[in-house]
Amino acid sequence: MLADAIRSEAYRFGKNRMTVFWSLLFIPVLFAIGGVIYHLVTKARTAEMATKLNLPATMGLEPVNLAGDLMNGAGAAANGAILVFMLVAAATLYAGDYRWETWRLITARNSRINLVLGKLITFALLAVVAMVLFMVAGILFGVSQAIVFERPLSFSFEAGEPGKIALLVGLSWVRIIQYAMVALLTAAITRSLLATLFVPVVLGFAQSLIGGPGLPLLGWAPTDWAAQLTLPGLAFDTLKAAVMAEPAAPPAPDGLALKAAVSLTLWTLVPLALALAWFQRQDLSKE
Amino acid sequence: MTAVIETRDLTKTYGTVRALDGLSLSIPRGGVYGVLGPNGAGKSTLFRILLGLIKPTSGSASVMGGAVGDIAAGRRMGSMIETPRYPPYMTARQVLEWLSIAHGLKSDSQRIDRWLDRVGLTEASNRRVRGFSVGMLQRLGVAAALITEPELIILDEPTSGMDPPGIQEMRALIRSLADTDGITVILASHQLLEVQRVCDRVAIMNRGKLVREGSVTELTATGERLRLSLTPMAQALSVLGDKGTIEGNAILAAIPRAEAPALLRALIGQGIDIDEARWVGADLESVFMTETGSIQTPETIHAR
Repeated sequence: MLADAIRSEAYRFGKNRMTVFWSLLFIPVLFAIGGVIYHLVTKARTAEMATKLNLPATMGLEPVNLAGDLMNGAGAAANGAILVFMLVAAATLYAGDYRWETWRLITARNSRINLVLGKLITFALLAVVAMVLFMVAGILFGVSQAIVFERPLSFSFEAGEPGKIALLVGLSWVRIIQYAMVALLTAAITRSLLATLFVPVVLGFAQSLIGGPGLPLLGWAPTDWAAQLTLPGLAFDTLKAAVMAEPAAPPAPDGLALKAAVSLTLWTLVPLALALAWFQRQDLSKE
Repeated sequence: MTAVIETRDLTKTYGTVRALDGLSLSIPRGGVYGVLGPNGAGKSTLFRILLGLIKPTSGSASVMGGAVGDIAAGRRMGSMIETPRYPPYMTARQVLEWLSIAHGLKSDSQRIDRWLDRVGLTEASNRRVRGFSVGMLQRLGVAAALITEPELIILDEPTSGMDPPGIQEMRALIRSLADTDGITVILASHQLLEVQRVCDRVAIMNRGKLVREGSVTELTATGERLRLSLTPMAQALSVLGDKGTIEGNAILAAIPRAEAPALLRALIGQGIDIDEARWVGADLESVFMTETGSIQTPETIHAR
């Protein structure tokens, strides 16, 4: 039954080519193409500078390490652009049945819990796809760098890096899902596709303002409970920094990772619980 | 005869409005069952409760022997409530594939082709539904209700937006679903002639209550009335009391045949000129109009 809900959501999503493009493909394609342009411009500027300074035009021939690009891709897989464009997928999945008045076609044959979980799990799988595509784009960035600058390619991890990549991937995945939980709650309450798209953007923007100039105004330190609980983005950055920290780096304050983990968990589970409770008693004939 | 749908004291209120008011109804398995009622009678509310879209305020309802919301029972039912809508980027075939998957079936192109053919959408099967007319959406809605090959389907205004040939085709399809496929069809429609032609039994609802239920033959047979063309009508209505109703330029007298001679004598005795008197069988429309209070009565005439 849950499997039916997941398969049907995945099928329907796959037929919506515009949404597939904007939510999954746009950012990786932009990043890969942008990488090629960036390398070409950099090479031209470097050659120009070399001519002006009467230096040899040859670049260093050290290899481009694709493992490093993979690591960077994993660390940036929940960047702001991915989060915003994944909202297109979230809005389509979570608010599509309100928008197209299709709840009535599927509610009699599956439980409401299964229908919502089917959407959530489909989104979680799409988040994996989006992250993989972004990491592939990160590797293409490195490959294009090697081609443009005629440098050799290598793929070598330093000690502990595979584990860090796995942690970063998991953390980024949680962050994408957590951010889209606000969309789920918005969809259930407002029944509006546009609101589902924009409320999380506005909330995220407001949180980024609080996390920037807002913190000193509020008298909060980034390590405070209040800051961590209010700003899931800050909590994500905190955990990411903990994963990426070099052994020689100064230790983070005691309990900071716990605060960040609690924040991300609450920002994931509370909107989910509220959305489920709301949806269970919702009149689905009004769409 | 086993019931596919049973409701007991089913009530649904929206604020102070009682959309359903203690409705007790039993719909038998087999055939085509019509649910009639004026706007606001509670038909759509009843269907929405049966589909689990809304919860009743009180009372109970069962579908295919299971309580409303019972998934196993729900899987034996298909429905089309009002004009259906679909994701506009999907083709008709994709809609049926999607619903097949959502309902736990393997995508079966032969089954999809068969239902597309039966609702007359074969040629439009690969067109996106954003370009569909209301009538085409209705046809696709019927196919979507049938794609799981249910034992029971609920069709709410299935011919709305269709042209006359389309209405005729839909009527034939509904009859064949009951007669050939053995599916119990519950049909709500405002087109009373259509209901009379296609339904075996009918429930008439008004203001959230069941006001009449029975086979179409029973309902129309019991409505035989004496049609009187006479003047003055107001005086005749006072003689007839609550047995007389206005229909156009005539009065319909709901009396047994045995009382007709005495009535005619009484009318003539009052100085009323009778141009014509003949017995007419009731059609569903007149039964509906009488039962739902949509017809002119002596009280409404005198009140003018």
